[in-house]
Order: sequence, then C-alpha cells, then structure tokens
Amino acid sequence: MKTKMKVLWLSAISCNGNTHSFFNYSQMEQFLEDFEFIYHPVIDSKYLLQDIVSQDIECDVLLIEGAISKEFKRADLSIVDIIQRYSKRVKKIVTVGTCATFGGIFRESGYEKTSGLHFDQEKRVDTFKSLLDKTISLSGCPVHPEVLVNTLYAIKKDITLKVDEFLRPKEFYAYTVHNGCTRNEYFEYKVDNHNFGELEGCMFYDHGCQAPFTHGSCNKILWNEVNSKTRAGLPCMGCTEPSFPRQNLFSTKKNMAIPEHLPVGVNKRVYLTLAGITKAFKIDRLEKKLFDD
Amino acid sequence: MIKLIEKIEGEAKLDFSFKDGKIDFVDVKFMSTRNIENILKGKRAFDALVINPRVCGICGHAHLIATVQALESCYEDLELSNKAKIMRELTLNFELIQNHFKWFYLTILPFFGHSQQILKATYPTQLMGKAIAIFGGQYPHTSYAIVGGVVCEITQMDIVKCDNYISQTLKFVEDNIVKVDAKTLLEATNSDLLLEYEGDLPNILREIKKEDVLKDAKSYDRFIAFGESSFFKKGKSLKAKVSHKISLEDVKESEVPSSFAKNVSYKDKYYEVGPLARAMINKTPLIVDAHKKHGDSVFSRVLARVYEISTLLNHSKILLKNLDLAEPSYIEPPLDISKLNSSGFSAVEAARGTLIHKVEIKDGIIKNYEIITPTQWNLSGGSREKPGVSQKAMVGLGDIKTAELVFKSFDVCSVCTTH
Repeated sequence: MKTKMKVLWLSAISCNGNTHSFFNYSQMEQFLEDFEFIYHPVIDSKYLLQDIVSQDIECDVLLIEGAISKEFKRADLSIVDIIQRYSKRVKKIVTVGTCATFGGIFRESGYEKTSGLHFDQEKRVDTFKSLLDKTISLSGCPVHPEVLVNTLYAIKKDITLKVDEFLRPKEFYAYTVHNGCTRNEYFEYKVDNHNFGELEGCMFYDHGCQAPFTHGSCNKILWNEVNSKTRAGLPCMGCTEPSFPRQNLFSTKKNMAIPEHLPVGVNKRVYLTLAGITKAFKIDRLEKKLFDD
Repeated sequence: MIKLIEKIEGEAKLDFSFKDGKIDFVDVKFMSTRNIENILKGKRAFDALVINPRVCGICGHAHLIATVQALESCYEDLELSNKAKIMRELTLNFELIQNHFKWFYLTILPFFGHSQQILKATYPTQLMGKAIAIFGGQYPHTSYAIVGGVVCEITQMDIVKCDNYISQTLKFVEDNIVKVDAKTLLEATNSDLLLEYEGDLPNILREIKKEDVLKDAKSYDRFIAFGESSFFKKGKSLKAKVSHKISLEDVKESEVPSSFAKNVSYKDKYYEVGPLARAMINKTPLIVDAHKKHGDSVFSRVLARVYEISTLLNHSKILLKNLDLAEPSYIEPPLDISKLNSSGFSAVEAARGTLIHKVEIKDGIIKNYEIITPTQWNLSGGSREKPGVSQKAMVGLGDIKTAELVFKSFDVCSVCTTH
C-alpha cells in the first residue's frame, strides 16, 4: 500500500476561505489517495482537535491558515504553542493564504501582535526564526487550490522549489497577475477610458488594478478553471502581497497624473517615455466595442 | 458537561446540564471573534466590498451582496439595471446551493453511520463555483458587485456556459440526491411519498424518521426572513401562519455574557431563520407538508435545506433566460462616494438565513458598521427561562450525540456567528 503523506491543517485567525478554495481542486479523488489529513477544519479526520492539542501526533506537513497571535486559542491552547509543537516534527510548514503569510485582513483583528508566521506585512518576525528553512509561503486571499495542492506534491516528491524573498515558490509567484489578462492590449497601448461593466478597457489607469505589480498566477492558471477577477472586470486587489489590503482599493493613486505604483521593474522615467510613445498610437479597434456591429 | 463542537467553520462549546437524565439547559459558547466591524471603521466605504466577503469562507458572497446593498441604500436616487440585479441574484443562489451540498454530504451524513462523501460534496460545489466565476471572476472571495451594478459584462456564450453548469448540477441531483426527474421533484407535495424514492436524501430522511428521539427535538415553530429576491419572500411564520408585514426596526441585537455571539430577537422573541424558514414563508408545498407532519424538527430542516438546491437551480434557469444583454451592467452612481454622508442597511438571504448589514458613512468613510448573521438568530444563547432557538430544540434530549445533531441541523458557522 502506498503511504499517504500526513497533513495537519491548522486554522488560526481566519475566515476559512482557503479551506473552501481548496475544495475547488479538481482532482480531489487522486489527492485524497495521496494525502491524509490528521486534522482538517471540515474534512473528517482520525483525530479531533482536542487530540491534536493534547497529544503529539505523527505528521509530515503543517498547514497554517489565518493570522497568528499568541492570544488566539484553539481548543483552549494558544495557536503559537500548537505551531511550536508540530513544527518540530514536520518536514515542511506551509503558510496557506495571506493572513498566515503576512497578517492580511485579520492582522487588524485586535489580538496582541498579530502577524503572519514569519512576516508582519514586509517586516520579518523572529518568533519562529528557527523554522525559516522549512517554511514555504503561499500567499493569496484565498490561495489558489492548484498552488496549494501542487506545492504539497512538490513536498511529497522531494522537489526543491526556488522561492522568492518571502519564501513563495517562483513557479507561481514569479509571474505578475497582469500576465495573461485578456485586457492586456488596453494596458499596452494605454487606452485609459475604462468603465465598469464592460468587456473592454484596463483598470490600471483609474480603477486601482494592482495586477502589474502583484505576484501571482491568477491569469495563468485561472480561477475555478474558467476566469479571473481582472478578466471579469474587477481590479486586482493585490491579495498575494504583504501590503494587502491597501486602502481605497477601487481607485488608482496618482502623483501628477502618474500612477504611484508602477509595473514591477519599471521605473518612472521608462514609464513616462513609454507613455509618451503609446500616446502617439490611436488604435481604432481598441477605441471601439469588441463585438462591433 | 462541556462538549467541544468541531468542524463548524471553527468551534463552539456546548455546556450541557442534565436533570433526571434529560438535558434541561445548554449554554452555547463561541470563543473567538475577529472584530470585522472594528476593522471596517475608518476605512473607505468601497473597501468594505473587499473586506466583507472575508467574514466567511463559505458564505462570503452573501456578505458581498449585503455590503453592496447596504451602501446603495445610502444613496437617494441610485439607478440599478435589471440585468445587474439578476446577475447578483444568480451568483448568490449559486453560493447557497454549494453550501447546501457541503452541509449535507460533509456534516449530516456522518451522523447516520456513513462516512463523509467528499467527492459528492465537491463535484457539484465546483460546478457552482465555476458558474459564479463566469460573472465574478472567481469563487470564493470575489468583489464583483459594486455600487451601481456589477463590474462584468457577459456574452451569449457566457450564458450558454452558465446554463450548462446549472443543468449538470441538476443532473447530479437527479442521479444522487433524489433519483427522480427534476420536474417531478419540483412538483412533489407529499413528503411521505418522497421517502419512497431512492437517493441520498430519502435514505437519510428515512433514518431520521426512525429515530424516535428526534421527533420531539423541536423549537418555537417561529420563522422569519427579511431578505427579498425574485424568489424569496420577506415575512414571518407562526405555527404555519404567514404574514409579510415585518420591519427591521423590531430586530434587536444584545450581548451574551459567556459568548462572543450576540443574540438577536424580533419583538423580543427568538425566531428561526434559514431554508426551512424561507420555505414556510414562501409556502413551498412539499416543505409545508413536511412541517405539518414533523413540525420544526431535524426532519423538516434537513429536507428544506436540501430541497432548496432544486428550487434554486430551477429558478436560476428562469433568471438566466430573463437576462437582457442590451441593458447596462453598471450605471455610475449620481454622487461620488467621498461626498456622501448617510446611513443605510440591507437584508439578504444567505445560505443559513437572513443576513443584515448596517452602515454609517461620513464623507465616504465608514463611521460605523454592524453585521447580524443568520447563525446569530439560530444559535446564540438565551437564558434558562427564555432559551434561544437551537437551545430550545436541544432541551429534553437524553444524550449529547443527538443534541450535537440537532445543533448542527441549523448549519452552524462559527466564523459568521462571531465575525
């Protein structure tokens, strides 16, 4: 019989969004043959949460969902103590989602010193310093099920994943969310008259889209296998980044008509030069409706 | 005797007291909160559209729709296209449906000696997720409904795709839930006859019927629903007598000393919300019949929730046909939100029942935000003299396992309850 990899799914200060995003993984049958949850917030497991906190159960991977504070308890035990106990025995720790990685939305929940496992937004947190080497960060609010499951397979198959400065696998986070957006041409040629409710237009110039400076594969692997927020016409909210959530999310902050946040790796001078050139274009096709009569 | 109830989107503690071998009171405690209402204070009003879906991983879309409607109610002359209204109603329906599949196959089945049917939960759930993603870009946690409409435009092909996801889900219901064609099930009026069919729902209902102890696990037989749509009616039902004259002004929220879950009452009385409440108020024939025979028991509650899958799928097909693509998806609000000083509220029917949002805005900034979740209605604790809805249903039972089933028959969501 094949040995299943044993996974502990631990929720801290969370909405369980990653749990439900995980349920959208399409090869669930195969996954359940290869992995076993010793505890999961929804799926039945051999152990109860009460067993998990009172005993020391064999486990290969620790998944943490939700922001972390010493003050926050599960089954009467501080989440920090539970993490400390299991982090020693597991092969790898995965922070599942932006709250567990950077603090995210629930960083503001009002618990004492709430943050991600190793990061408080961009700042390093030292509480779990000794675990840095065995941690993989999977940010996203929620994390895409493919990103989570394929990372688990990488661990199972002993594949070494290259990671970025926040321990996120480059396989998924070297891309920007902008890559693969169906609205790319409107961005490239700076057609900046976007209105909500339309197939046409790019939300970067006015409506706060963070896709060009947000790391993630949303438009490469797509959500629910069919779409993405930006394709649908919703600005990228930058949910994989340490800064999530920024403020005034539906509006692009500008200084002297130049967006404050520019695409990754593009400096202001280059941006201005490029903008000057693209202004010279007037592409009829992009000024009109896509489905023209 | 304290029992930790797990796998309810978090945990709750039920503290049982027994008298003469029967439960005479249960103290319900939810142990943590995330203070969402405080997080919202001082934020830009539109940012609530991104923050609020994160109240809950399983019904976050209802929180989005409640947020956008609460914000829209702050305007005096906001225009909304029928097309945008239909799209919002569709995606909310799809969320309710995915929730009900998960609850039935993951939460209810294990009480009757079966293991969870994870694949039966995830297969139709994923179809509904895809249907939402056509409009919203992704599920969970889209913010596609914005003040003035929705961000998306859809095409003829999107409608074809969506229609097929609905049909495929209906087929799953016919092949698994109740093995009969969808039309016959929709027209069913006799809950006894339903038990003669094959399928996962009749199987479980037959087992519930066998359990004598479950027959008396009833609550107040008082139901309420404030959310209105082209399908759900607003109203209350008292011992099957329905009236539609209710006002949100009579809803009160109050603190509970031992728990983070505030309790909610209507004219100082506790009411049950959720699919059973909606079906009673809508006078859905099959559910009214079950209620006549079984009252507000686990039997009626399980049937009502699972049957809502069929009625909502059917109604969604009709809604989809009514979409007029010539209408706009979005109409710009008459006033920039940063100039708005106002307050508003909304009520929508979420998977577990009526969800209420209230907001106060000053110069476009949130001054105050209040959320009343369905699970607060059903699960928050009352006193010995005046127990809450789920407490009342558990009193008189002889064992904790049965009480846990009764508690979970309300579809518990810990994260929502305390938010």
